[in-house]
Amino acid sequence: MRVTLVEDQVLLREGLAGLFRDAGHDVIGSYGCAEGLADLVAEQKPDIVVLDIRLPPTHTDEGTRAAAQIKAAHPEVGVLLLSQHVETARTVDLVARGGFGYLLKDRVLDVADFLAAVDRVARGGSALDPYVVGQLMHRTDGRHGLQDLTEREHDVLRMMAQGYTNAGCGSPKPPAPTSSTWAWSAGTGP
Amino acid sequence: MERSRTRIASAADDERRRIQRDLHDGAQQRLVTVGISLRTAEARIRAEGLTAEADRLDTAVADLAATIEELRNLTHKLPPAQLDAGIGAAFRELAGRAPLPITIDVPAERLERHIEATAYFVGCEGLTNVIKHARASAATLSAVRRNGSLIVTVADDGVGGAAPRPGSGLAGLADRVQAVGGELVVRSDATGTLLTAELPCG
Repeated sequence: MRVTLVEDQVLLREGLAGLFRDAGHDVIGSYGCAEGLADLVAEQKPDIVVLDIRLPPTHTDEGTRAAAQIKAAHPEVGVLLLSQHVETARTVDLVARGGFGYLLKDRVLDVADFLAAVDRVARGGSALDPYVVGQLMHRTDGRHGLQDLTEREHDVLRMMAQGYTNAGCGSPKPPAPTSSTWAWSAGTGP
Repeated sequence: MERSRTRIASAADDERRRIQRDLHDGAQQRLVTVGISLRTAEARIRAEGLTAEADRLDTAVADLAATIEELRNLTHKLPPAQLDAGIGAAFRELAGRAPLPITIDVPAERLERHIEATAYFVGCEGLTNVIKHARASAATLSAVRRNGSLIVTVADDGVGGAAPRPGSGLAGLADRVQAVGGELVVRSDATGTLLTAELPCG
């Protein structure tokens, strides 16, 4: 498939490009910032754009904003956001769209899973990090009847949100970590 | 005295955030890059039929991934990057993670950084206690400017019993609030808990 890469750290970008090439994909463009990205996408028509959330010049949410632009103008192009930590505040609207993924950068180290996620997103599916899913599920707790689900139903829902199919959800792969442990590690303890 | 206390608290928070940014954008990304190189090497070594060597690299990458995870957990104990967008955004992020409905009321304007950081810790600690101990059905998180102060409150309708016992999170929070010249008051009974921090801000 045709991949466009946007990551400002050169070594990481080259490493990612190498992974894609070794898997037989075409890296048709690799960039250090998101400026003019929407035009490049219109021109080059990649199957998927893989981009960092924090990019120059302000290193805040340039990637998220570029992702929203691309999905609005070219819904058929897959977009996979990569980030060093999870921030759902600005991505929540994107999550509902097809062909969108949001993973922590270190998921890349699980190469087979990562490439499968890229493939899913390029084909219009989704790939959400367990941590992202955890945050979103907590966000809606109590408002959409999620509390009525059994633990197993919760696990299955979490895996579906990550983009797993029926067969995947039924596999013995351990469920994603629960978000409660992590979500509250920001506190200073009782 | 007052001014130097403020300056020290502010410098400490700046330093904490610098460390967080350096870890996210520096060390953690470097580790991911090293991991990718190891994975690439592993695939090539495995293709040569050197299974034992490839397996050893696989273990090394797994250790590396665990290290990155540990670093992430460490940095979450620091003021979040969300604070870069102000206390309003940081409180919304906190409320969004909570497993119960949280009503929030926050100022749109930016405040001094050490005040924002302290307000964030009040919100964080207060909500953590609500979730862990209060058995509440709902909570309110607010930060309102009044007469040269920022009044930060965390209120819930839970079972009460909160007190700043020595060595507790609330006692630590009271120290933090005092370090910026503010005051922390805890009212807690069977109808719920109200945590109020008054932080001086110009």
